[in-house]
Amino acid sequence: MKNRKKATPWLYSLPAFLLIGIVIVFPILYTAYISLTNMNLYHWNDFHLIGLENYKRALLKADSGFLSAIGTTLLWTAVNMGVQLFLAYFIALGLNAEGLKLKRVYKTLLMFPWAMPAYVSILLWKVCMFNSEFGLLNKVVTALGGTKLNYLSENVPAFLACTVLNLWMALPFMIMMIDGALQSIDASLYESAMMEGAGFWQKSIFITLPCIRPIIAPSAIMTAFTTFKQFDIIYLLTKQKGSLTGASIQTIITYAHENAFVSNNYGLSSAVSILIFGIIILFSVFTNRGLKEENS
Amino acid sequence: MKREICKILCGCMIAGLMAGCGEEPKEKQTDSSVKKEASEVKTADKKESAGETNIKIWHDGDESIMDTMEKDVNEMLEEEGIRVSFEKKAALTDQLKLYGTDEVNGPDMYFYAHDSLGMLAEMGILAPLSDILDTASLNGDLNEMTLEAVTYKDTQYMVPVYFETLLFLYNKGLWEGDVPDSTDELYAYMETHTDTEAGTYGVLNQHSTAYNVAPFINGFGGCIIDKEGNPGLNLPETIEAVAYNQKFAALQADGDYNTVTTLFNEGKASAIIGGPWLLSGIKDAGIDLGMKSLSEFTLPNGKALAPYSGVQGVGVLKHSAGAKKDAVEKVLSALASEKVGVDLVVNNNCASANEKVYHNSDVAANEMVLTMKKTADTAEPMPNIPQMSVMWGPAEGFLAAVNKSNEDVSQAAEDFQKEAVTAISDIQ
Amino acid sequence: MRKRKIRQALSLISLNTVFLALCFITLVPVLYAFLLSVSDGSSAFAGGGGPRSFTLENYRRIITEEPFLLWLKNSVVLSLGTMVLAMGFATTASYAFSRYRFKGRMKILFLLVLLNAFPQILSMFAIFRLFKTFGLLDSNAGLMIVYAGSMCIFSIWNLKGYFDTIPMEIEEASKIDGASDFTMLVKIVLPLARPAIIVTGVMVLIFVWNEYLFATTFLLNGDKYTLAGGLYQLQANDYSRSWSLFTAAAVLVSIPILIIFFCIQKYMVSGLTAGGVKG
Repeated sequence: MKNRKKATPWLYSLPAFLLIGIVIVFPILYTAYISLTNMNLYHWNDFHLIGLENYKRALLKADSGFLSAIGTTLLWTAVNMGVQLFLAYFIALGLNAEGLKLKRVYKTLLMFPWAMPAYVSILLWKVCMFNSEFGLLNKVVTALGGTKLNYLSENVPAFLACTVLNLWMALPFMIMMIDGALQSIDASLYESAMMEGAGFWQKSIFITLPCIRPIIAPSAIMTAFTTFKQFDIIYLLTKQKGSLTGASIQTIITYAHENAFVSNNYGLSSAVSILIFGIIILFSVFTNRGLKEENS
Repeated sequence: MKREICKILCGCMIAGLMAGCGEEPKEKQTDSSVKKEASEVKTADKKESAGETNIKIWHDGDESIMDTMEKDVNEMLEEEGIRVSFEKKAALTDQLKLYGTDEVNGPDMYFYAHDSLGMLAEMGILAPLSDILDTASLNGDLNEMTLEAVTYKDTQYMVPVYFETLLFLYNKGLWEGDVPDSTDELYAYMETHTDTEAGTYGVLNQHSTAYNVAPFINGFGGCIIDKEGNPGLNLPETIEAVAYNQKFAALQADGDYNTVTTLFNEGKASAIIGGPWLLSGIKDAGIDLGMKSLSEFTLPNGKALAPYSGVQGVGVLKHSAGAKKDAVEKVLSALASEKVGVDLVVNNNCASANEKVYHNSDVAANEMVLTMKKTADTAEPMPNIPQMSVMWGPAEGFLAAVNKSNEDVSQAAEDFQKEAVTAISDIQ
Repeated sequence: MRKRKIRQALSLISLNTVFLALCFITLVPVLYAFLLSVSDGSSAFAGGGGPRSFTLENYRRIITEEPFLLWLKNSVVLSLGTMVLAMGFATTASYAFSRYRFKGRMKILFLLVLLNAFPQILSMFAIFRLFKTFGLLDSNAGLMIVYAGSMCIFSIWNLKGYFDTIPMEIEEASKIDGASDFTMLVKIVLPLARPAIIVTGVMVLIFVWNEYLFATTFLLNGDKYTLAGGLYQLQANDYSRSWSLFTAAAVLVSIPILIIFFCIQKYMVSGLTAGGVKG
């Protein structure tokens, strides 16, 4: 009986673990294996183990460009997560305001960006918003009498442009998560707070935030990782082959892509991937502390 | 509703709990039933063609061009019991890396530009043509330049079908006076006919795309990469060419493909440097189009602009060179034939690689094809060595840094040369 | 009393204004895209800003000239299948992680987050090899496994977070009534966790709906593509891209998801506020 009880949670999780094993764990192990081989263009089908050679090369490649890429990535993640959580919280609060009759319509409209495939959204923004000749932004600027600007040719504006686009694409999810979390708060808590004469900020700090925090934490952490490994936005907006825009923002993933993947050297690029994975693990040791708090 | 959700989720979970032991057969079942539905059309096709050899060709190009070839080849080989089907695959080279050795799911042949040839050949997934047929008799009618393009390390891997070069395309309704014969005069024209604030331009070019700046780089005697695989971004000639191109770039809008083509099609630019793929869009826009070969423009050093030429051809994957040798041989010969060449010119404005085609009167009336043919004399085939595939990035980084971020030309040349050297050493 | 009502009305009006503005800002790129999609091809990005003529030609072309309905069906099959698979697996797993205290529980949860951090694009090659061995290439089942696996960790975490907020007492009460673990999960916990389940399910659905890279790589036949995959294939390279067609396609892909959003919102009200605890 006791043994059965012990096995129950494992039984419940078994199918999920199986799936995760196939789709996530196996590829990581396989990548680790390839990183120890000399699989490249010249040894496509007849590669063999060569030990840690690739790691040596990958580490030697880790020049100043790599370090600045890590810096950019951290900045990118922090800025995006901060703004995203802040905006999403207030928008979701607004959506839950009493008496807002059109909230279903608002919610649906605000979800629109999420309903589009990522590459469509990115290309749409690139051409319809940021393009220096036809983009809406420049049309507004020239209509106001300004001169045409190029938003993607220098690093700082391009970083901001990428951030705006990322917010546009990611906010709907955050709003929805926080909105869902807000629904879970027991209305009676607010009632008693009202009785005691608590204002908006007090309610936010003492009731709303503590209540939604455990629900939001997982998705916030997941989103932080997604942001950390964001590739499409920066790549398609500024680095697409045949239409480089001049900005040279480099996050870890775009750096790896540019330095290893284009070359078809799978051994080397696998080593770089595993190293990046290692860095992400290090990075998450910091978030680990937050997690533990959550569950204590 | 509550209850329904419960029911559905209950079902899911039972499935979830069972899945541990019973996953495989269940999946297979859904798989086959879905397959049945989705490919009904296809099975019908296959039944009809029992006893035929099917040749699957992957491509990543214009469907109407593929339709022309598919139709012609199938007509020619109907009696032989051979059927080809062209299937579009986006990101073709990436797909070939995965499916190149997959006899069951992969293609038999692929139709693509020649510049990725060296890479695919080194991977060992392509069959040399001499394994399949007598190349000498096949090549008899084919253009010299295109044959050079499809040969890697003295081995021919593809049958060239048509080639593309950049052209000088101008709007006859907007262009004032004659089209000049030198690039300096062209620049002078641009200076007087460009108003960036109003959004009207003299001559447009994708000024930060390596393929589109290559005419200058090659014309100045520089190179993106030489035949031995050494990058040439910091050669004095290349730097000179890029600095020269920078002057032009300042008067050429953003230089992104969508921007420049739209400007030209909207009648906001008098001319554009572009390839035959622009033609259908220009036609739709109702522009009275004139054209001139780039090799008819001379640079300040007296040499002509020398664009890259891209040869579109068909290559054979190793596994089908064994199993389907005879059918493959016939398809290759059919694709190299005069009939396919003429139809490609007439229907799709593609400059055929078959020299015989140019004796045809319909072909002789096709201005675009003749202009490309003229350019072929000075055009250089894009390098097909594997190193080329990593050169686009650094070369375009170089151009974008100079043209868009206003970096110093010589400094940028050194930076990106270094990047290119690293990228090339990463291949090995 | 009256004063308060006026104040309330005023704040509602301002809130509505803020949201209208917000929706407008959000929708600007989409509206612009929509304008493009109803303009004829040659006048896309017309100098004046707006389209010169209104036409539904682009929509007609996509629906009739491309196997749009087939792709739509494939998308529906794939995304529903994945949703059932992923949610079924994730619900049980997350329930276990939320309700049972077993050894290594936190470690595994943390490990899952780490695993999720591995960029999926790097997994492509390995999954390809695996599927080739098991003959899962070019099949919906294979893709469902990939998608469900990719979303599984996220779903587990998401659901577990919500399950944690449901007080144990409710279950303990029913345990005394003699309900088994499983019936309790189905009858009591799931209805209470409805918002989380719906949100997570929709997440999975959208992920599949919008995914194109695995779809175009692992499916070999144009007839089997999903909407996102098929349209990606159509518009992948610059040279063949017609912007008005592209934007029409974008609008068409998005509409089903928007309809789903609108429909599920009714059910998003939490089980808790519906009286679970108090009742």
